[in-house]
Amino acid sequence: MKNKFFYSHLIEITDISLKLKDVNLSDDEKAHLTSLIEANIHSIVIDTVLSELSSDDKKTFLKNLVSDNHEKTLEHLNSRIGKLEDKIKKSVEDLKSDLVKDILDTKKLS
Amino acid sequence: MPGKKDNYRYQFLAKKWTDRHREFQSKIFAKHEDSFKWFTDNSKQLVIGSLAGIMLLTSPILDKIPQSISSVSAQVKTIDKRVFLIYDLRNVLPNEVRSLTPEEEKNVSEILVRNVGFNVVSELDGKRLNTTYGIIGQEQHLSRFSGDNMFTHFDSSDQADKYWSYGMAPGLGAFGYFTDLSGTLTQQDIDREKYYIAVQTFLAPGYDNNTKDYNDFFKYRKMLVINPQNGKAIVADIADAGPSPWTGKQLGGSPEVMNYLERFDGSQIGAVLYFFIDDPNDTIPLGPVNL
Repeated sequence: MKNKFFYSHLIEITDISLKLKDVNLSDDEKAHLTSLIEANIHSIVIDTVLSELSSDDKKTFLKNLVSDNHEKTLEHLNSRIGKLEDKIKKSVEDLKSDLVKDILDTKKLS
Repeated sequence: MPGKKDNYRYQFLAKKWTDRHREFQSKIFAKHEDSFKWFTDNSKQLVIGSLAGIMLLTSPILDKIPQSISSVSAQVKTIDKRVFLIYDLRNVLPNEVRSLTPEEEKNVSEILVRNVGFNVVSELDGKRLNTTYGIIGQEQHLSRFSGDNMFTHFDSSDQADKYWSYGMAPGLGAFGYFTDLSGTLTQQDIDREKYYIAVQTFLAPGYDNNTKDYNDFFKYRKMLVINPQNGKAIVADIADAGPSPWTGKQLGGSPEVMNYLERFDGSQIGAVLYFFIDDPNDTIPLGPVNL
């Protein structure tokens, strides 16, 4: 991913980018759609993480997130959520499947 | 160069993924609202002035969409800003549609000022309406000058196609014609009719004691009207009095106002917020507000 977040090392969107190449898009259009992909991934990761945390840990997580300290954020999350990376990857893979399906659906457009 | 067909595909994906992102934001906020609220209340060191501001945490999209590309991009940003407005308002509005308390009006006013960038108030020059939160009904077009009719009323065939069916009100607005003759019709007159609302001026506190003074105050007074469910806001002007209290509605909107706010009459009737705009130099234009 272009922008770094505490989960960036877990996410790979090359496969979606390759699918997008099949749709003839301008550079600006590609950039816009890529930013939407990243925004959707960001949202689903935040939801996945928050859903696993207690009320107090959610507060700590939000504080860490705002401080932009990725290492501290990840350290805190790993201490609170078992199999954190697997859970994030699973959520993102599910989302990516939906996004790829959307791209394939564009071929049906006349 | 991508052809029209491919642009169609881009539009399809942009809309679908923008909608998905909005749904994520709504879901996250609803599920974890308490934590976001706590964080807002306890993060004095951060420049986050509202509950909506914290939602930025769940959306890195705002500063990442290319500025130059298309109206779709602008639309995405507008939608995101509106999401914040909706959340902020939801946090301070009562569940039922009723007159707001002074504290509630103050909270709403602060949110609106922060979002639209100009001053809006529930009371201006010591005058206020019977409510600032009410059910809006559909009004018809008003005759702007003697002889104005459905054939003279529209600027373009597109406008006529869109708004013809609402028809022309059989009588004049509460303040008469907008101008004396068709030849003297100005853009201001056109906009005043196009973006008019009818409010219950006659129920304003103090109205009966000084009718003329109040009518002078209300005539073409600019108000910010907001649909709190979709965050759409429009600068409208008071050009008619009504509706009758027995209708159960508190105000009415021109076809153009209702269309923009996505408010409907009948079974889908809904509420809006309406606050005076403090605009002594008349610098704020009538029409939709770009958030």
